Amino acid sequence: MGGPFLVGEAFLLGLASGPACVASCGPVVVPSLLAEGAGWRLNARYLSSFLGTRFLGYLLFAAIAWELGVLVSPPPAVRTLIYGGIHVLLGVALLWYARSIGRGCAHACAASGLVSIGRVGKRGVPGAAILGLLTGVSLCPPFVAAGLRAAQLSNLAAALLFFAVFFVATTLWFVPFVGMGCVRRNASVIFVARTAMILVALYYLLAGVAMLAGRRIYG
Amino acid sequence: MKWPTSKLGYTAAGMTVVVAMLVPFLLFGLFTKGFTKLGLRVDEMYSGGPTVRTIQADGYTVTIHKAVYPHLLQTEKPFVQLDWKPVNALPQHVSDAVDVDGDGQPDVRVSFDVPKDPKTPLRVDVDALNPRYQAMRNVGKQKFSELIVRVDDAILVRVPLTGR
Amino acid sequence: MADPACTAFAGKTPPRSWGRALLLTLPIALWSLFMSLRGLLQPDRSLQIASALTAAFLIALFFMMMKTSSTYRWRRWFFVALGVLFPIEFIHNVMVLRGSMGIPIEEMIAGRTPFCFLPIPLLILPAALTKTLVFPGSLLPGGGMAGAGMAAMAGLWLAITLVVGKGWCSYACFFGGIEEGMAALPKKAHWKKLDPRLRLVPWAVLLAMVLLSLALFEPAYCMWLCPFKAVSEYVAARNTVGMVQNGIFVVLFAALVIVLPLLTKKRTQCTFLCPFGAFQSIFNKTSVFDIKIDRTVCSPCVLCQKSCPTMSLTDESIKKGETLMSCMKCGACVDACPKGAAVWHIRGTQVAVKPERARLMFLYAAWAMAAMFGGTIITQDLATILQRVI
Ligand code: SF4
Repeated sequence: MGGPFLVGEAFLLGLASGPACVASCGPVVVPSLLAEGAGWRLNARYLSSFLGTRFLGYLLFAAIAWELGVLVSPPPAVRTLIYGGIHVLLGVALLWYARSIGRGCAHACAASGLVSIGRVGKRGVPGAAILGLLTGVSLCPPFVAAGLRAAQLSNLAAALLFFAVFFVATTLWFVPFVGMGCVRRNASVIFVARTAMILVALYYLLAGVAMLAGRRIYG
Repeated sequence: MKWPTSKLGYTAAGMTVVVAMLVPFLLFGLFTKGFTKLGLRVDEMYSGGPTVRTIQADGYTVTIHKAVYPHLLQTEKPFVQLDWKPVNALPQHVSDAVDVDGDGQPDVRVSFDVPKDPKTPLRVDVDALNPRYQAMRNVGKQKFSELIVRVDDAILVRVPLTGR
Repeated sequence: MADPACTAFAGKTPPRSWGRALLLTLPIALWSLFMSLRGLLQPDRSLQIASALTAAFLIALFFMMMKTSSTYRWRRWFFVALGVLFPIEFIHNVMVLRGSMGIPIEEMIAGRTPFCFLPIPLLILPAALTKTLVFPGSLLPGGGMAGAGMAAMAGLWLAITLVVGKGWCSYACFFGGIEEGMAALPKKAHWKKLDPRLRLVPWAVLLAMVLLSLALFEPAYCMWLCPFKAVSEYVAARNTVGMVQNGIFVVLFAALVIVLPLLTKKRTQCTFLCPFGAFQSIFNKTSVFDIKIDRTVCSPCVLCQKSCPTMSLTDESIKKGETLMSCMKCGACVDACPKGAAVWHIRGTQVAVKPERARLMFLYAAWAMAAMFGGTIITQDLATILQRVI
């Protein structure tokens, strides 16, 4: 497969998959971004952290997908376990994030920093980064489609390139989220965002536990 | 100075009362029609997708629907829906080899009993004659993508696709 | 600010004479009779009686509103009747049709899941992005169980919303009546200190459910959180998760619709959960009618704040002379205010100048909708009960 064709295919697949990526990441991104401070710079930083680790998740997935060739369609029981586990982790991360909001340093610097998960006082990990990694590895179904395609490629470098370009194209759909920086943040908005995060987290936890326990969610 | 805005307010309020009077005679129907004209359709995970072909069998027909693929995080598998109808023309036991993709070769063999009582739960066996389709053993109606149900005068079977 | 010459009319509107009250009731009486005509002309005796009873009920309530100048307590009778009768009829219908309150999968495939208005906000994004309705209903005019097709419900919702805005939650919603009835039972609230931030939860539920509905491609609120599933229909629990969902419905119903309204005298489900209510609040901005507090008369005694079933009045909003966006125009605050400072108002007009005119105009519009929509439901419900009894 020629390089330009591969790049073009990955880019188009990414562009076409973007809305689905945004929709599937929406329950995680929108409330957590809303819970951050206002201003497009801070919101852009959130998105960079989120998308950066999401990219890492993608590459990780691409490497494994290519290595194993079949990982993207493992036996249903194994896949359910992986998805269940990641759902639970995501639920926990969201709850932790919701708990960490407003717990950072009380100085002016707090307003300019991202919500961090981890030890207060010392540098914690930005919550956005954790959410990015977890959504990157698991949630986006178009990403699984890209995984299938990557697994067919002849070498690891091509698989990684395919994913990188796919990622860039899907990322374009996330750029408008920076506009959420314009939303005025007050105690009410933060409360709404935080509560929405808790609700979404509870859903992921329940769905994850159900998957781990081998229960179907629907049907 | 306040006079024009107050006049505007009263006019709008008066119009609201008029609009209320028009709801049952005009607006309800208009909005309902407008809604149907938006070209929206019910999610195919529920409705089963549009019909592609109908195969004529012995006194009954088998309708084949377009394959349905799950959206986003839906945990269902992709599937194709096949309808047998009318129920009263079906034999007591159906065992049909169906050419789903229309290439002249049978893709699945679907077997089920047709009970007299419409309330009796149905079970289906599907043998995959083409690896694109997933075999099913003694399946009832546990998933939208794997089921056999009776809907009015038809028996619907949904066969999952394997993704191969 | 109100002109002093005009504020001579501010304060409580005195009770009207019988003749004047009757005259003001006449348009609504004609409207209600017209609405019941279809039932009255049917050969079915139960339906005839039910139609007559409903029309009489609605006319009598409107007459009392005119006679006493009090809105809330008379509207409440209608609203509670609607809220209590609706589930009785609904459960009766599903039991007759399918022998269970659980929707079997074949009914969903057939598109016969009854569509209520609650999922409307959840369907907007998936419909806008993919032209798909993520609800197992039908778009046909007579589609869905008992003809409750999605198109008809959406059309009706839009039309009524155009007229009453958030007033939907006081004059059209067929779910809120149970909790309003429960809240009316105790003399005093036992729990008075409610965290005002809880008022924001419906917005969070709306945000989370809209996003999850798009991601999961299903009406997430109906699947996971709707308390009224406990008294209507639910996904037949075919697995453990289904049981968990049904458990959530029952717990939320018991807590928010029965127990908390008894303890707080508030409509707690509407105030602390309902995402549709939050969504409907947006239409308060498009409605020409609202409630204002005349600050020249207000003491403030905060009786209005205490009486509001949805916590739509706060110290700050009273200071500003306004209600919050969540106000559903039930009229409780207006009735409760001893000084007549809480008044009905038409946008653009001066506050407390001819508030009774604003009230009348709103009530004509709102009661016309109540008779058309709620009245029809009450008639059907009564007819079903009468059919069983006679
Ligand atoms: S502010 Fe007044 S009219 Fe509005 S909901 Fe509260 S009591 Fe009802």
